[in-house]
Amino acid sequence: MIKRIVIAMFVLCLILGSSALSFAQDEDMSGFEITQEMIDASPYLQSVLSRLDQVYDTSEFAKDPPYRIAFAAQGTSNAWSALMDAHAYWYVEHLGEDVVSELLYGDAQAQADIQVPLVEDLLAQEPDALILVPMGAAALSAPVERAMMQGVPVVLCASAVETDNFVTEVGTNLYSIGATLAEWLIDTVGADGNFLMMTGVPGVTTSVIMEEGAMAVFESQGIELLDNQPGFWSPAEGKKIMETWLAQHGDGIDGIWTGGAQMAQGIISAYEDAEMEIPPIAGGEMQSGFLRSAIEHGFEFYAWMYPNAMITICLDAAIQILQGEPIARFIDFVDTMPEARPFTDAEAEDYYRPRWSDDVHGPVTMPDEKLAELGFLVEEE
Amino acid sequence: MSIAKPYESASGASNWRMRKFIADFGVYIALAVLLLAATVLTPKLFEVNTIAVVMRQASQLGIVAIGQTMILLVAGLDLSIGGIFLMTSIVVADVTNGRDEMVLPAILIALALGALIGAGNGVLVTKRRVPPFVATLGMLVLVKGATQAYTKGVPGGFVPDVLGIVNQSWFVLSIPLLLWLGLNAFFIFVLRRTSYGRKVYAVGSNIEAARLSGISVDVIRISVYILGSCLAVASGVVLTGYVGYVDRFIGTGLELDSIAAAIVGGTAFVGGRGGLLGTIAGVLIIQLLSTMALLMGLDIEVQFIIKGLVILGAVTLYSLAETES
Repeated sequence: MIKRIVIAMFVLCLILGSSALSFAQDEDMSGFEITQEMIDASPYLQSVLSRLDQVYDTSEFAKDPPYRIAFAAQGTSNAWSALMDAHAYWYVEHLGEDVVSELLYGDAQAQADIQVPLVEDLLAQEPDALILVPMGAAALSAPVERAMMQGVPVVLCASAVETDNFVTEVGTNLYSIGATLAEWLIDTVGADGNFLMMTGVPGVTTSVIMEEGAMAVFESQGIELLDNQPGFWSPAEGKKIMETWLAQHGDGIDGIWTGGAQMAQGIISAYEDAEMEIPPIAGGEMQSGFLRSAIEHGFEFYAWMYPNAMITICLDAAIQILQGEPIARFIDFVDTMPEARPFTDAEAEDYYRPRWSDDVHGPVTMPDEKLAELGFLVEEE
Repeated sequence: MSIAKPYESASGASNWRMRKFIADFGVYIALAVLLLAATVLTPKLFEVNTIAVVMRQASQLGIVAIGQTMILLVAGLDLSIGGIFLMTSIVVADVTNGRDEMVLPAILIALALGALIGAGNGVLVTKRRVPPFVATLGMLVLVKGATQAYTKGVPGGFVPDVLGIVNQSWFVLSIPLLLWLGLNAFFIFVLRRTSYGRKVYAVGSNIEAARLSGISVDVIRISVYILGSCLAVASGVVLTGYVGYVDRFIGTGLELDSIAAAIVGGTAFVGGRGGLLGTIAGVLIIQLLSTMALLMGLDIEVQFIIKGLVILGAVTLYSLAETES
């Protein structure tokens, strides 16, 4: 028993050590440093940084397998989410029925107001653990607290809530990502450049935190943006806004910060129609359509990754909790999926997968057959 | 003691004429005022490139608003068009799989499905007496559910290159704008110069009187719903070419914007009054507000507030004019 505890503590130290290392590497890579002023101004940053060295004692949740795990997903909304669900089902199958006997699934259709009662329904089925992809930090706080009160350990996956009463969060430092993208843009163009910013959906945590990080960097350099508008993670909205910006600023745009590849596609399309040269874009992703256009047009970009495959890490975390093993309160997916690191246009060819359909967000850990079943593989000619 | 009616005194008559003037020409005055304001606030708006962008984007809304106006004229409403955009986009990408030569069959299939949805709306409203709001909301959920079931929640596929033509502009002219103008010309003629048009107004003004005068009220209402859905398909094709990608959120909000454009343009929510010229002005007002707000760099919250205030202002003005007349 003592041996198992010592091994568990050793593994934990390794995870924490590598988390701290990767965080430090991120800072080194971009020259971006989180200042005390930034920490003071961001409750998210305070929460993430404080949890980096925290460990949750999960002995109270220990029980024998197989487990029934509830998965309150983003649900039917886009390809990113569909692939996350597919990864979840594939991984549960891969683990086997003697580990996870049932995955109780809840589809929030990407809306917080649907997800709140949905979590209640899932909890009524008395799962052993709850994996939640929160659709709103404030709205989902109370359901998370109720689950913990009910004795159901909560794993937050891909986003955060406002309460601190959960076991662990799997994700990455979104503030840092937003800031790093802004840093790259400034390094590439120069601080005297004219920048535009296109964020995701107003009020949605992921978008808000990335914007916070980016704005902190722009403001620290005294940069005033030409404009900042939400593109609702939609190519259509992104294109509409970009068309107007092009009409307004013409070739006076030196760089664009965007919170997602879908909007970047809209931006590229507007430039294509206007037959203008595409300026550096900070905010691409390992998304097939974006990379295809980027290679075709050859513009400079900086891409980040938010892999839907992180659900496998969330499932591992839930199992670890149910086995009563201590667990880190913040798990950066980069530590488990080292390939999910930011990259630039210089590596575009390495990350582009011609067989993936345009809407696939990588990296994908499922076998190709699963992708084909879901219609995400392009037929070879 | 007798109470004088507004039009029985000189000031009352003048007041009445003023309100009627507002009801008839308010939207055009509002458009002129907006353009005047733009000369000061956003002079960029009058550059050729910006006008081309405004017109291309307005056309997407404008084509849907034609159908919505006609449905409102028969005292109806159509919320299901939100689902028709996505259905159209999926059909185009799925049937063509990126092949240009399959565009026509894809559009015909989408039109057939659109007509079916419109007929379903019409039958629910006329034969089953379901209120239009409930019938078309139910249809919206049904269509979205069906598209999700078909695509397993992941609308994908390839949009043929030929549809990219909707993104080309010649001076301020573009294919979507020409389509919008052409469809407007056709339906203005239909509404003003044909017996079908007169029947549409008659049904909307007084359904019982129309029935008693021998008009096939149900046929007129169902046909208008079918037309509305087919126009939503046309707008869906334009939108699909515009985005060049099957986006689950394609056309989101256009169903409500089309109602807003028609109402701002003077079409009565209770039917029988209004027309397409007013809707053109309503569409331009909504699009100009959106573009001007963007050119001014206003926050999205402020944009929504301005849009809401304009719609509320228009409805209040029209209701005042209606009460007096």
